[in-house]
Amino acid sequence: MKSAKLIIVLTLTAIISGAILSVLAGITQPIIDEYQTDVLKTAVGDVLPNINSYDIKIIENTKFFVGKDRNNKPINVAFEAVGDGFQSKLKILVGMNLDMTKILSIKILSQLETPGLGTKIETDPGNKEDDAWFGKQFINLNTSSSLTYLKNEKPDKSKGQIMAITGATISSKAVIDIINATMAINRPLFTKEVN
Amino acid sequence: MEESKQNNQEEQKPKLEKPAAKPKPKSKPKPDQTFILSSSPHQVKTDDVKTVMKHVNMALLPAIVASVVYFGFRSLFMILTAVISCVLTEIVINKMRGKQFREGSAIVTGILLAMTLPPTLHLGFVVMGSVFAIAIGKQIFGGLGYNIFNPALLARAFLQASFPVRMTTWTNPSTLDAVTTATPLGGLKFENIVSPYFDMLIGNCGGCIGETSALLIIVGGVYLLIKKYADWRIPVSYLGSVVIFGTIFWLINPGQYPDPLYHLFSGGLMLGAFFMATDMVTSPVTPKGSWIFGIGAGFLLVIIRLFGGLPEGVMYSILLMNAFTPLINRFTRPKFFGEVKK
Amino acid sequence: MAKKKISLLKEFTKGLWDENPVLVMLLGLCPTLAVTSSAINGLAMGLAVLFTLTASSTIISSVRKIIPKEVRIPTFIIVIATFVTITDKSMAAFQPILHKSLGAFIPLIVVNCVILGRQEAFASKNNVGRSIVDALGMSVGFTITLTVLGAIRELLGAGTIFSLQLMPDSFVPWMVMILPPGAFITLGLMIGATNWINARRER
Repeated sequence: MKSAKLIIVLTLTAIISGAILSVLAGITQPIIDEYQTDVLKTAVGDVLPNINSYDIKIIENTKFFVGKDRNNKPINVAFEAVGDGFQSKLKILVGMNLDMTKILSIKILSQLETPGLGTKIETDPGNKEDDAWFGKQFINLNTSSSLTYLKNEKPDKSKGQIMAITGATISSKAVIDIINATMAINRPLFTKEVN
Repeated sequence: MEESKQNNQEEQKPKLEKPAAKPKPKSKPKPDQTFILSSSPHQVKTDDVKTVMKHVNMALLPAIVASVVYFGFRSLFMILTAVISCVLTEIVINKMRGKQFREGSAIVTGILLAMTLPPTLHLGFVVMGSVFAIAIGKQIFGGLGYNIFNPALLARAFLQASFPVRMTTWTNPSTLDAVTTATPLGGLKFENIVSPYFDMLIGNCGGCIGETSALLIIVGGVYLLIKKYADWRIPVSYLGSVVIFGTIFWLINPGQYPDPLYHLFSGGLMLGAFFMATDMVTSPVTPKGSWIFGIGAGFLLVIIRLFGGLPEGVMYSILLMNAFTPLINRFTRPKFFGEVKK
Repeated sequence: MAKKKISLLKEFTKGLWDENPVLVMLLGLCPTLAVTSSAINGLAMGLAVLFTLTASSTIISSVRKIIPKEVRIPTFIIVIATFVTITDKSMAAFQPILHKSLGAFIPLIVVNCVILGRQEAFASKNNVGRSIVDALGMSVGFTITLTVLGAIRELLGAGTIFSLQLMPDSFVPWMVMILPPGAFITLGLMIGATNWINARRER
C-alpha cells in the first residue's frame, strides 16, 4: 500500500503543477508572442526605409522580408544573417535594395560579444556623438564587390569598405564575413525568384 | 625563478634547515639544533633567494638595455614604476601579515611585468598591474612559494582583459611617434604583413617593451641556464615543441601558416620561455615534469597563435600550464628506491 | 527535529550573515557568478529567487506531513519547477528586456541549491510560519549579496551602479570586472572578507 501512496502523491503534484502552468501559459503566451512580433516588426521597419508594410516570403527555407510602398509595390528586401562572432552567435538583419547591390541598413538582432569591446558592433558608449556609429556605416554601402574593412584609413562606401572597431577587429570582421557569406547565398536565390 | 627550491624547504622547516645551510653558525648552537634529524634531500647549497634574484636581474639586463634603446627612456620609467610599486605592495602586505620583507622576488616580478607591457601604456595602469601581481597574484595564496600562477603573467592577463585596447596599442620603435603599428604576429594575423626576420631578431619591431629583441633575451637566458638558475629542460622543450608543431602546420599549408622561425622570433616567446616558464614556483620540480610542461606550453602556444582569436598566446600557454603543474608533479613523482610498480 | 526554539527574528537574520547562502554556505554559485555583471541583474535574480524560494517553502512546509520520504526530492523539484516557470513566463511577458539579459539563468533557478537545500533542510521539518521566515531571510541574504556583487562589478567594470554614472569621465572601466574572471575575483575577495570579519569577531 506504501507504493500506492508514493504514486498518488507524485501524480497529484504533477497534475496540479501542470494545471497551474497551462493556465499561466494561456495568459502569458499571447503577450510574449506579441512582443516578439513587435520586435521583429520594428527591426524590419528600422532596416527598410520608406516602407508601408512588408510580406514574408520563403524561398527554399530562407525567409525574406519584402518591403512594400503605399501602392503595395515591392521596393526593398531584408533577410537575417547568422554566423559566429568572436565568442557568440551573431544574428544580423540586413536590409537591401531589390537587386541586392546596396545595403540600406543593418541591425544586430542578437549578440553576446565581449562586453565593452565586441558589443560596440551594437552600441559604443565610448563614442559620445553617436553610439551606433559602427552599424550606421552600413547605410547605403555598395555591395557589388565583397565588403572589406580598414583599420587606419578612411573607408570608401562606394567600394564596400567600413572602419573596424579598434580592439574588436575580430567582431567587426565577423559582421562583414557573415553579411558577405549570407549575401552570396541569398542574392542568386532572391533575384532568380523575383525576376 | 622567483625563488630557489631551497627556500621552499627553508620556509617549511626553518629551524632545521638553516644551520645545515650554514656550516659555521655564529652563535652557539642551541641544544635542539646540534643534532639535525631531517629527511632527504640532505643537499647543502649556499644559494638563497637573494642570490638567485640577483642573477635573474643580471640576466634581464641585456633585454632592459634593448628596451631603452628601442623605446627610449619611457620604458625605463615603466620598469622603475613597476618595480617600486611591486616592492611597496609587498612591504605593505607583509606588514599586514606580520612578516618580514626578505626576498627580492618582488623586484623580478616588477621587471618582468613591465617588460610585457606595450610602450604606450599609461603609468597608472603599470601601478595597477603591479599591485595586482603582488596582492592577488602572490600574497593572497600565502606569499612566495605558494602561488599557483606566475604573478607577473597573471597581472598581465588582468590588464589585457581589463584594458584590451590600451594593451594592444603598439608603436614603431625606430620612429617612436604616436602612429600605431602592428606587432609581427598581429600584422600577420589581421593584415597579412610579414615582418623581416632580422628586425625581429634584433628587436626592431612593434611589441611589448622587453620582448622584441630575441637576441638579447637569449643572451640573458643562456647566462641563467649556464649558472643553473633556470631548468634548461623547460626552454628547450618549450621552444623545441613550438618549432616542431609550427613546422607541422607550415608543411600542411605554407601559404596560410607562418614558418617555425617566424614563430620562434616573434612575440614574447623568448622572454616567456627563458624567464617566465622557468619560474621555480610555478613549474614542475621533476625533470620529466619539466619536459611535459614545456611541450604542453609549446603545443598550446601554436594552437592559440594559429587558431585563436588573439595573435599572441605565450601568456595564456604558460598560465594554463601553471595550472597543470601540481598535476604534473603528482604524476611524475620519482619512485622510492626499491619501489615496485603496481 | 528536536531543535531548541529560536526566535523568529533569529530565524530571519541568520540568512543575512551567519548562514548567508552565498558567502558562507557557498550555495547557488552558478547564477551568482553568471548574472552579476550589473547591480540590476543581481537584484532581479535575487528577487526571482526570493519569490520562488518563499512560495516553494510555503507549499512544501504546509504539505510536509503527506509527502512520503521516498519521493520527497521529486516532489520538491516539481513544486520548485512550477514556481520557476511562473517566474520565467511572467518575466518574459511583462519585463522582456530584463528577461533577455538574465537569459538562461531564470530556468536554471530550478537547480539552484539554495532552494532545494532549504526545502530539504528546513521547510520539510518546520511549520509554515517558520519556513516562510527562513525562506525570506535566506533569499534576502542571497539578494543583498548578489546586488552588492553586481554593484561592485558594475562600478569598476562600467563606472556606474544601477546605470547611474558614479565614476568621473576620466575613469577607464576595468573590462575584466564584467567578464567572468571579474566575478570569480570579486566573489573570492568577498568570501575572504567575510571570513576575516568572522575571525575577528570571534577573537
